[in-house]
Amino acid sequence: MFANKKHIILAIIFLTPLSSIFAQITVSPDGPVASIKKAIEMAEPGEHIMVQPGTYTESDIGIDKPLTLEGIDRPVIDGNNEGFIFVINADSVTIRGFDINNTGRSYIRDYAAIMLEKSKDFVIEDNRLDNVFFGIYLAETERGIIRNNRIESYDKREASSGNGIHLWNVKSPKITGNHVTGMRDGIYLEFVDDAEITGNISNDNNRYGLHYMFSDGGRYYDNIFRRNGAGVAVMYSDNVDMMNNLFEHNWGSSAYGLLLKDINHSKIERNRFYRNTVAIYSEGSNHVHIHRNDFELNGWAVNIKSNSMRNRFTENNFIENSFDVRTDSPRNPNEFDGNYWSHYEGYDLEGNGIGDIPYRPVSLFSMIIERQPESLILLRSMFIRLLDTAERIMPVLTPKTLYDENPKMHRIQ
Amino acid sequence: MIFRIFLLIAAFFTLIILSACEPKPQPINYGSDGCEYCRMTITEAEFGSQVVNNQGRAFKFDSVECMAAFDLTNENPENIHSKWVPNFLNRDEWVEANEAVYLHSETLRSPMGLSLSAYADRESAEEMRQEYGGEVIGYEQVKQIVEREWLSNENIGQHSNH
Repeated sequence: MFANKKHIILAIIFLTPLSSIFAQITVSPDGPVASIKKAIEMAEPGEHIMVQPGTYTESDIGIDKPLTLEGIDRPVIDGNNEGFIFVINADSVTIRGFDINNTGRSYIRDYAAIMLEKSKDFVIEDNRLDNVFFGIYLAETERGIIRNNRIESYDKREASSGNGIHLWNVKSPKITGNHVTGMRDGIYLEFVDDAEITGNISNDNNRYGLHYMFSDGGRYYDNIFRRNGAGVAVMYSDNVDMMNNLFEHNWGSSAYGLLLKDINHSKIERNRFYRNTVAIYSEGSNHVHIHRNDFELNGWAVNIKSNSMRNRFTENNFIENSFDVRTDSPRNPNEFDGNYWSHYEGYDLEGNGIGDIPYRPVSLFSMIIERQPESLILLRSMFIRLLDTAERIMPVLTPKTLYDENPKMHRIQ
Repeated sequence: MIFRIFLLIAAFFTLIILSACEPKPQPINYGSDGCEYCRMTITEAEFGSQVVNNQGRAFKFDSVECMAAFDLTNENPENIHSKWVPNFLNRDEWVEANEAVYLHSETLRSPMGLSLSAYADRESAEEMRQEYGGEVIGYEQVKQIVEREWLSNENIGQHSNH
């Protein structure tokens, strides 16, 4: 009797089609369902589609209902250089574990490997995108997660490439652990509220590693921005927190570690700026607190225009930069206090760790270059050193009000 | 004979000198030159624009809207020689900004978000409008849009697309 019951249960398990228990469809190149499009068509909302290894040549795959698409051992979806690959118009869609290659390219349409429009609560994770025009494109979405994807495109034959992760009119996205390389901007935000961008690596992109436009209230931390065409740009945005990031090796005539343009009420804390042409360039930015950052071996640590006001630089380390601070006017309405400057030549008789005479971070030569960029050729000449020393003792041309009253004697840990 | 060769050489140099004197659009180094107005690096050849002054110096911009904003806020208008925008349909062709025809269409996004693209003639702009919507306008109206969206309110971007 007991044994019989067991048999009946076993029979039920084996005879019932798998899909009705787990609500799951399997796609494989030689199975009954051989295309992802077909699987999506068959699927009920909320179903789980498992994709077996193989190459699927498909483009413009539309998803209009909540679904999970999961690749087993990295199946390849090849867009064959035509149009979009995934176009998602539904909420709660997950795409995980695919290699997605070869989108179309166009000067008018923003073809993307994964396009999400008006979706909510999606998860795009653990995918590898290669040779794509745009990578992951979010338009008018809410609360999605973009996690641990790798996006690259090295097709230099094309005059212009798209952005790796592109967000337009988006609310509360989380972008974390992605690696973007070889695109126009690694991560691009336009009209995005409360973005959280953490733990990404963005390197060797043609324009910016990260680019904020008109995007308020976001934060980015623990990211690495390396060797991008022009560094990172935060433009026309308020209340952006920038913390624990590494900005390095951004060299070029209009390259910056971090470009601030019309930024208000923001925080820049505990970042490291290493070997950039200009570590921070600031124009028209107000009430930004720059605190506890390391500026090391940059051409200019800070280039701050006098239309930037009430910014505070406190407890930063300025170490062996060719120039510490550059500005365009003898009046500079910004505050420098309690920083460590490796070029400081003062003394500390009181022994309290704070230099007894103020430090003036704008050298005379830096002012001359501001007016006559060609004079940079005189860098490190004896004559310039003499001029700089004379100017430090008796400032005439350099901003009289721009000095650090409490320069630290030792590097701040 | 020698005189003829001399004449030829003289003519050649006069030509070089004359052509050097006439200020003309300069090539833009995409991915490296920065926009004179918004400071962004210029990457898109279908939008990169420029103003050339009487000394032949080019001020380069990443978009038509940045060039127009520069034009509107320029304190030294008499020193501007010419203004150039790229033909959206043939990106190697420079069109004089005042002669160009523009499409203002939300579906054709431009780098600074004011959705402006330029064309060499009204017919091609009209064709683009039929496909992408919006309105066909002239440079004066481009300036009005930039004035309204950017310059008359303090913050760029506050009123576009919302």
